[in-house]
Amino acid sequence: MMALLETRGVWQRFGGLIANADVSISVGRGEIVGLIGPNGAGKSTLFNLIAGVRPPTQGTIWLDGVDITATPATERCRRGIARTFQVVKSFETMTVIDNVIVGALIRTTEMRAARRKAFEVLEFCGLAGRADVMASELIPSEKRRLEVARALATEPKLLLLDEVLTGLTPLEAQTGVELVRRVRDTGVTVLMVEHVMEIVMPLVDRAIVLDLGKVLVEGKPTDVVRDPKVIAAYLGDRHAVGA
Amino acid sequence: MHDATHAVRRRRDLIVAAVFVALAACVPLFVKDVYAQNIMVLTLMYAGLSQSWNILGGYCGQISLGHALYFGLGAYVTAILLTKFGVLPWFGMLAGGIVSALIALALGYPTFRLGGHYFAIATIVIAEIAFLLFLNWDWAGAALGIDIMVREDSWAKFQFTRSKLPYFYFALFFAAVAWLVTWWLENSKWGYWWRAVKDNPDAAESLGVVVFKSKMGAGAISAFLTAIGGAFYAMFVSYIDPDAVMSFQFSLLISLPAVLGGIGTLWGPVLGAAVLIPVTELTRSFIGGSGRGVDLIVYGSLIVLVSLTRPDGLLGLFSRKRKVEAAR
Repeated sequence: MMALLETRGVWQRFGGLIANADVSISVGRGEIVGLIGPNGAGKSTLFNLIAGVRPPTQGTIWLDGVDITATPATERCRRGIARTFQVVKSFETMTVIDNVIVGALIRTTEMRAARRKAFEVLEFCGLAGRADVMASELIPSEKRRLEVARALATEPKLLLLDEVLTGLTPLEAQTGVELVRRVRDTGVTVLMVEHVMEIVMPLVDRAIVLDLGKVLVEGKPTDVVRDPKVIAAYLGDRHAVGA
Repeated sequence: MHDATHAVRRRRDLIVAAVFVALAACVPLFVKDVYAQNIMVLTLMYAGLSQSWNILGGYCGQISLGHALYFGLGAYVTAILLTKFGVLPWFGMLAGGIVSALIALALGYPTFRLGGHYFAIATIVIAEIAFLLFLNWDWAGAALGIDIMVREDSWAKFQFTRSKLPYFYFALFFAAVAWLVTWWLENSKWGYWWRAVKDNPDAAESLGVVVFKSKMGAGAISAFLTAIGGAFYAMFVSYIDPDAVMSFQFSLLISLPAVLGGIGTLWGPVLGAAVLIPVTELTRSFIGGSGRGVDLIVYGSLIVLVSLTRPDGLLGLFSRKRKVEAAR
C-alpha cells in the first residue's frame, strides 16, 4: 500500500549546520505517528519541510504518490496538509469563529457554508461556546485547540501537530489526547511532534525517534521506549548501559 | 442559530447606514450656509477616501502613506481627459480609477514583498517621486497645474457654478459606495483573507491564503476607489496642481480618519472623518490665515491622544460593550 506521506533522503543544511541528514520516513493512511526526540534533534525542521515552509536542501517529499517537494505551503494546504504552530499564531484581532472561517474558505467561497463548517469544527473541538470571543481573549489551552480547529477546517488528509500537548495541565493534555483520537477517527492521518514522551506514547500507533538530525529508531511505542539507543539519546549513555 | 445572529448583525449595519444616508441627504435642506456645506462635502469625501484606504491599510494591514498618488492620479486623469480631449468627467473618473488600480498593481509587485514599516516608507517615497514628476511634466501643466473652466451648470460635465448641492450629493454617494463595498468585502473570502494576512501572514499561508495575491487585490480596489475621490475633488475645486492634489498632506488626510475612528473597522473611517474634518476645517478658518500648519498640529494632537487612550480608535468606546454582550 502506498503511504500517504513519504520523505525520501531529505537533507536540510543551515550553513554549516546539518539539521536533517538523509531522513526517510513514511506515514500511512489513518495512522497517528509521533515524531519524537530530544531538543535539537531536527524534529521541527523536518516538520517545517513537510509543511512547506522551505524546500529541503536535498531529497524529495511525497504526498499520495505525488512529488510535492517544490510545492509552496499554500498549495500544500489545498492538497490536504494542515498544520498547527508550536508557538500559537492565532489571528488575534478576529473572533474565534472568524479564525476558523479563514481555514474553511479554502474549500468553499460561499460564506454561509464556510461559517457553518467553522461552527461544526468548533463544536468538534469543544470551542463552540467561545465562538464569538476575540481570539486574543482565549486561555493558552483554548488557543491550542483553536489552532487545531483552524487546521481541521481546511479538511486535511494529513494533520501536522507541532507540540500541541506540551505545556498543558494533565487534565488539559488528556482532553487534547482524546481530541487527537477523535480527529483520527474521522479519517484524518496525524503526524505529531512532541518531546514529552509520556504524553504521546499511549496515543501514537508508531513512533519515529530523531536524534542529531537522523532517524534513530522507528517502531511501536512500547518497543521504542525500551530501546537502549533511545534512552541513550534522551538521558545519555550512562543510563543506557544499565538498561 | 449562530448563523442567524451574524446575519442579523450585518443587516443591522446596513439599515443604520441607510438611515444615515437618508438623514445626511436631508441636511442641506436646512443648512443653507455655503461654508457649512463646503465642510460637509469635504467630510463626506474624506469619509469615502479613508474608507478606501482602510481596505488596504486597515483590513489588509498594509499601511500606505502614499495614497496621495492615487488621489492625484484620479484628479489628473480626469482633468487631462476633460481639458485636452473633451472626455466627460464621468468617463475620466472611471479611467482614473482604472489607471490607479493598474499603477497600484505595478507598484505592489515589488513593494508588497516588503515587511511592516518598510512598506510604509516605500509608499511615501513613491508618492513623492510621482509628485515631483507631475511638478515637472509640462504636458500635464507642471507646477502651473490645470484649470478646469466652469462655464455652465451641467450634470453631464459635472460642473455647477452656483450651487454646492450637486457636489454634496455626489460626495454622499461616493462615501456610501465606499462603505457598501467595504461592507460587502468584509463578509467575503477577500475580507477574511485580508484580516488573516494582517494578523499573521505565516499562519494565513498555512491555511491556504495566497498572501501576495490578497495584498494585490486590496491594493487595486483601494487605489481604484481613492482615484474616484480624487476625480471628484478635481471637479469640485475645478483647478488642480501637484500641490493641490498630490502632496503628502493628502496621504495623511486620507489615512488619519480611519486611524482615528478605528482602523480595520467598517464604521471607523466614517466616525473619524466626521470628527476630524470639521475640526480641521474650523481650526483652519478660526486660527488660520497665518499659514497652514495649525490644523495639522490639531489633528496630530488628536491622533496622539487617541492612540494613547484608545489604541483601537474611537470605535473602541462602543465595541467594549459588544464584547461583553458576546461573552454572555
